[in-house]
Amino acid sequence: MSEADAANASGVIASSAERMVGAEHAEVRYFTSYDHHGIHEEMLKDDVRTRSYRDSIYQNRHIFKDKVVLDVGCGTGILSMFAARAGAKHVIGVDMSSIIVKAREIVAVNGLSDKITLLQGKMEEVHLPFPKVDIIISEWMGYFLLYESMLDTVLYARDTYLAADGKIFPDKATMYVAAIEDGEYKDDKIGFWDNVYGFNYSPMKEIALTEPLVDTVEMKALVTEPCEIITFDLNTVTTADLAFKVPYKLTAQRSDFIHALIAWFDIDFSACHKPIHFSTGPHAKYTHWKQTVFYLRDVLTVEEGETVSGVLENRPNDKNKRDLDINISYKFDVEDPTRFAEGSCFYRMC
Amino acid sequence: MASSMQSTDLPVRDLPADVRSVSDDSDSSNEEGWEDVEPEDESQPVVGLFSNTIFPDLRAMLKECKEKNGFDLVKIQKDLGLDFLDTIKLVNYVRSEVKAGNLSPDVSTKEKFADDAYLKPVLEDDAVLYSLDDITEEQNEQTLPGTEAERKVLELQEELERLQTQFSEYRLAVQKSLDDQLNQEDKKLEPGENAKRPVKDRLEDADTDYFTSYSYNTIHESMLKDAIRTDAYRDFVYENKHLFKDKVVLDVGCGTGILSMFCAKAGAKKVISVDNSDIIDRAREIVYDNGLGDVITCIRGKIEEVTLPVEQVDIIISEWMGYALLFEAMFDSVIYARDRYLAPGGLMVPSHATLRVAPYADPDFVASHVSFWNNVYGFKMDAMKMNIHDEALVRHVPTTSIAADSAVFLSLPLHTITVDELTFLKDFKVTLSEDVDTLDGWAIWFDIFFMPSADSTVPENVVAADMQKKGYVAFTTGPFGTETHWQQTICLIDYSKQESQPLKKGQVITGKIGYQKKEQGSRLLDLSIEWQANETTKGAQRWSLQ
Repeated sequence: MSEADAANASGVIASSAERMVGAEHAEVRYFTSYDHHGIHEEMLKDDVRTRSYRDSIYQNRHIFKDKVVLDVGCGTGILSMFAARAGAKHVIGVDMSSIIVKAREIVAVNGLSDKITLLQGKMEEVHLPFPKVDIIISEWMGYFLLYESMLDTVLYARDTYLAADGKIFPDKATMYVAAIEDGEYKDDKIGFWDNVYGFNYSPMKEIALTEPLVDTVEMKALVTEPCEIITFDLNTVTTADLAFKVPYKLTAQRSDFIHALIAWFDIDFSACHKPIHFSTGPHAKYTHWKQTVFYLRDVLTVEEGETVSGVLENRPNDKNKRDLDINISYKFDVEDPTRFAEGSCFYRMC
Repeated sequence: MASSMQSTDLPVRDLPADVRSVSDDSDSSNEEGWEDVEPEDESQPVVGLFSNTIFPDLRAMLKECKEKNGFDLVKIQKDLGLDFLDTIKLVNYVRSEVKAGNLSPDVSTKEKFADDAYLKPVLEDDAVLYSLDDITEEQNEQTLPGTEAERKVLELQEELERLQTQFSEYRLAVQKSLDDQLNQEDKKLEPGENAKRPVKDRLEDADTDYFTSYSYNTIHESMLKDAIRTDAYRDFVYENKHLFKDKVVLDVGCGTGILSMFCAKAGAKKVISVDNSDIIDRAREIVYDNGLGDVITCIRGKIEEVTLPVEQVDIIISEWMGYALLFEAMFDSVIYARDRYLAPGGLMVPSHATLRVAPYADPDFVASHVSFWNNVYGFKMDAMKMNIHDEALVRHVPTTSIAADSAVFLSLPLHTITVDELTFLKDFKVTLSEDVDTLDGWAIWFDIFFMPSADSTVPENVVAADMQKKGYVAFTTGPFGTETHWQQTICLIDYSKQESQPLKKGQVITGKIGYQKKEQGSRLLDLSIEWQANETTKGAQRWSLQ
């Protein structure tokens, strides 16, 4: 992405939320709850996201025509309106948040009130006007795909309402990892705590090392090939599958240092006539999901062709299901004992 | 947001992660989301028994103890037949031994740590103690044979109840011992406080949230990296060591303790650092790690409620400034501390602040922020504009958007100003320095001054740069200075009910600007501005600052 894009992107969310950097989520919600615009503006202005949904719906009018569609987490109602415009018989949008009040006004102003029913409430509790739906559309993805994601709600909706031959838009999510050279930023984010105005801030450093960073990574920082670690097929995946433990193997494309692993995801709408795909990886156009950076405690010195392997484990925190506990083990098995490295790092997204 | 200030060098990587997380993952990410908003479980970091390493949870810590130090708590618990309180004692015994330098404490028998003195936590808020019941439960679950499940469930329920009772007793015991020790209340340890936060009204909730929000790294990182801010405090303290030498200093809202440490390094006899967020635990560690533990005392609590170890202080230092200066209302606490503790003639650091306003004209920003909703992927979303002008925005304002020299609307002499004076309605007058098609709104910011004595004054209408030239420490958060994490506050004018008119250079605009707390005791602020340029361009509007 260009710097101008980046500036725009960060500017969008630079509202009341910004002072709340590092804030507790309940609190962020509290403080941003009035700031409807910031969040929805950022979502809608994420062109990769919104355009992919639009295309997957508008290019598939034959699939949507006369169908009953459920929009899980409808927000401002944009996906519901796409579906209605594409000829759906009826669209049901469900959202917990009070944004639904605005969504109703928006739907009315656009003359789609008779096509779209908007319900405020939990998916598990609302009463749908149709016993079954033909299509579920949802934009449920969070950072690191699963952080504060609505996937479990989508799965509930699927199991409860989707007709036997129903379709899900999107229906596939694939996670990737790669390793990056990131000395400068690691120094800025982690090394910073070694000397703060002449003082030793190591207690803060320990915490910083367990916090994954959601950040935009430049393509040139990639030292290895990406490695696909897991694919979720939304037609079949279960909530239990969202806790997983998977191996990865990364092969260096050049001789360099490795400071961090990064993770991202791709999304597929394969139910489309012509499949639609977008990526949130460092090689692709900017999205608000950016990438997730996991700094390693070690710095690995790799040469072209060498491999780093390990296991990535992800599970919801026992106490707070919204938080993710992520463990990444790594082994850089080389003859040279000065470069050999092996370790395991724990992270919590909260 | 220090690093994002160097936006040309570090384009994207420097927005703190949690800023990003604010925007969340979906259209529905609003106050309620999809799941119940549960009271956030404030998990304390787990400090290792044999080192100062912080662990994500008890299990990880115990694993390390077992592997690195051959200390297997679960096994010892089992071998010695320890009950809950015994295990508490064991942990405190090990901590006290390690603290005394013995890395392999003798745990061969129960008698080694039978003394009730070991009920007293060695570490304040020791997360290990509070999570021991988890481990015990886990143990029980693990040893549960599937075939006896039903019988065991009943047993476990009883066991759990017993543990909960013990735990409550333990909390009470701790509370009592701390009360004796400190002769002060420590509300955190009240039984059941962690278990379920009572339903409070929104105002109280906001208050609690305010304190918890400061316990994360990122906000402290962004503040420490705001060099305009931190350098100013450092420069004043280090360049005026004679003021601090042998003095007693109070740091209100100390955060990670950086200002306290500046003062200690400058020769203060004693520094008392107060903060009501979890960060105080990190501050205590940091102070200790820097060998300043005998000078700096960290106290957790609200300044209005804690008992300080001294009657009076010579200097109060505080970084209390919020958006538009007074958002978050932390300044009220600083005034309280001043009136309660500052010795006659004592020094406030900083000593003066001024609030400024200027007319704002930025058609591009209005287009992207407001007009955007006119057509979103072919749909009208005017509904999203409904309250868009009711909230003040915090943004970096380009200097080109400032259409006149700013005017001071409030001067705050920190030694004398009262809380009542923070609710006000003041006149202002500005003269446009350029033609504008539309007066889009108002930009607000503040300057901060560090004068060396309680009697010092700063000239009216002075800007930070003037005082810097005279050799004083001062900084501005305005658009013409280096960017700070405070940015500027923008109040957009709503033209849905009136037509906007172009204004010419030289046009005088007069008005009144007011600050009002949303409710008594609230940290939320309402801003009001009335303005008049001529017969057609005039108005009055109110904004909230969330």
